[in-house]
Amino acid sequence: MASRLIRNRAAFPALLILAIIAFLVALGPVLAPQDPLAQNPYELLQGPSAQHWLGTDAFGRDVLSRLLAGSTVSILASLLSVEIGLILGVVPGLLSVFLPRSFEWISLRLIDALMTLPFLVFAIAMTALLGNGLIQAMFAVGILITPAFYRVSRAAALSVANTQYIEAARLMGASTAFIIRRHVVSKVLPAIAVTTASMTGACLSIVASLTFLGIGVVPPEPTWGGLLATDLTTLYERPFGPLAPGLLIVATVWALNALADVLRDINALPEEART
Amino acid sequence: MTIAAQADDPAGTPPLSAEPRVFRPNKPKSATHLRFLGSLALISIPVFLFATLITFLLGYASGLDPAAGIAGDAATPEVIARIRADFGLDRPVAIQYLDWMAGLVRGDFGVSWFNGVPVLQLILQRLPVSLSVAGAALVVGIVMGSLLGIGAAIWRGSAFDRAVTAFASLAAALPPFVVAIVLILIFSLWLNLLPAAGYIPFSEDPAGWLRIIAIPAMALSVDIIADLARQLRTGLVSALSENYVTGAVVRGLSPRRILFVHVLRNAAGPALSMLALRVPMLIGGAVVTESIFTMPGMGKMAADSALRGDVPVVQGTLVVSIVIVLACSLLINILLGVLQPATQRRD
Repeated sequence: MASRLIRNRAAFPALLILAIIAFLVALGPVLAPQDPLAQNPYELLQGPSAQHWLGTDAFGRDVLSRLLAGSTVSILASLLSVEIGLILGVVPGLLSVFLPRSFEWISLRLIDALMTLPFLVFAIAMTALLGNGLIQAMFAVGILITPAFYRVSRAAALSVANTQYIEAARLMGASTAFIIRRHVVSKVLPAIAVTTASMTGACLSIVASLTFLGIGVVPPEPTWGGLLATDLTTLYERPFGPLAPGLLIVATVWALNALADVLRDINALPEEART
Repeated sequence: MTIAAQADDPAGTPPLSAEPRVFRPNKPKSATHLRFLGSLALISIPVFLFATLITFLLGYASGLDPAAGIAGDAATPEVIARIRADFGLDRPVAIQYLDWMAGLVRGDFGVSWFNGVPVLQLILQRLPVSLSVAGAALVVGIVMGSLLGIGAAIWRGSAFDRAVTAFASLAAALPPFVVAIVLILIFSLWLNLLPAAGYIPFSEDPAGWLRIIAIPAMALSVDIIADLARQLRTGLVSALSENYVTGAVVRGLSPRRILFVHVLRNAAGPALSMLALRVPMLIGGAVVTESIFTMPGMGKMAADSALRGDVPVVQGTLVVSIVIVLACSLLINILLGVLQPATQRRD
């Protein structure tokens, strides 16, 4: 899958953007030219200059440094939320096909219930009520994206569950755990890869919304969403302010969506509504 | 497909009568109809129970209680225990849950831990704000999304089609709050056309109401426009290549009639299901737009209360949102059943 992905021409811009973002995440805090938290009362709300490439904010902090330092938290938080959602969704999704009907019924209703919850309101409620922190925020987002992974892995597992080779394996006395490990997981992986890519984008956008509201990561700690929130308060003085963090968010989410589309095409998977 | 090929195709050979056979749902037999409605309602009940259980457990797991807030720092353990008993927080979880559910059924959502106002009253005060914005976003999204999607499908392969596709893929990457900031920049700061904050009730000043919800509604609708346009285009393009369309063309039906009477009915299914999935996100998105535009809406209240640890208010807003979402999906499923009677058949 990897080599076909690299040779795919449509994937190139997406992969390029993601490589740049990965570079920023790995080295962001090191690359930051100044201390992202250092305030300078003599240099408030400056425009771009040689010293401050993206200017300074209302506290005289260097915006470029804050942006670079914020990349790590923003991206890692969304990656971890996706991981939580993946584990919580894929495992019951696969099991729902093979375990008794009662488990299937309960898990389906639970997933329906999760899909009914108003996404951001619930994420905010969970994060804030359980002690406003990044871990809580990641779990809230992870739980809320569980349905996407559950449905995709369940659908993929259903499509192989009645094939003859699985019946043959069962007749030869293979256990359910063995069948899932040996036969089902490999068939489900492409679909999960597609969902992981698009969900990472969705999580990034949600985490940005949360940090924008000051939930999950509390100021002054910089994040992409938090930067946009301070930019909003000084929109009149620095109308170009939201440009850099906004572009970073949009470019990353776009690249992840494009990657998901390419993965879907490579594996000849049917188009599914984005959730 | 030629007429000869059409004749070979058994599925596409309706009698060539003067009055074309329009696909109409069968006269509704009220028994099947009722059973369909009943099965839809029955599906919502366990979903409602699970969703409210999650909501209740969230408040319980938070371990928060109103005692410290009310009694202040100098409170003795006895005072705290008395306050907890007043709110019924010293009882077993199961009893608290049943009591809470019984309250919900009666419309009693408890009182705010911070100002003692009944939660339902707080929510009803703020609901019109959120519904204005979300409703307007939904209307804008449906109108614009349908226009773009239908246009892209009719002129598929054209520059318009490519522009719609490009817009849809860009819009899918735009968080609503980023759109909101851009719209504030354009319409408030540069053009000075629309206000960027506050709220005016419709009953006081309809024109002012429309101006004030314009930017938030636009910001929230971008997502819906893009998704609807994409879904409708895909559905329409595949429906347009069906045999019955060729048959309708051969029988001389006008393109407009084919599109709006025959094709749209069949292509609208996935788009409608997508709209049902969008409603929870629309309600959630309202939180961000309401705090950007400092509107006194339900979403902003939920966020503020969550940060204050006002559990009953947060639970109340979640329950009201769940009811709205379930009602919307019920409505959309009924609409689907009317448009495409086959969906009423369940095995």
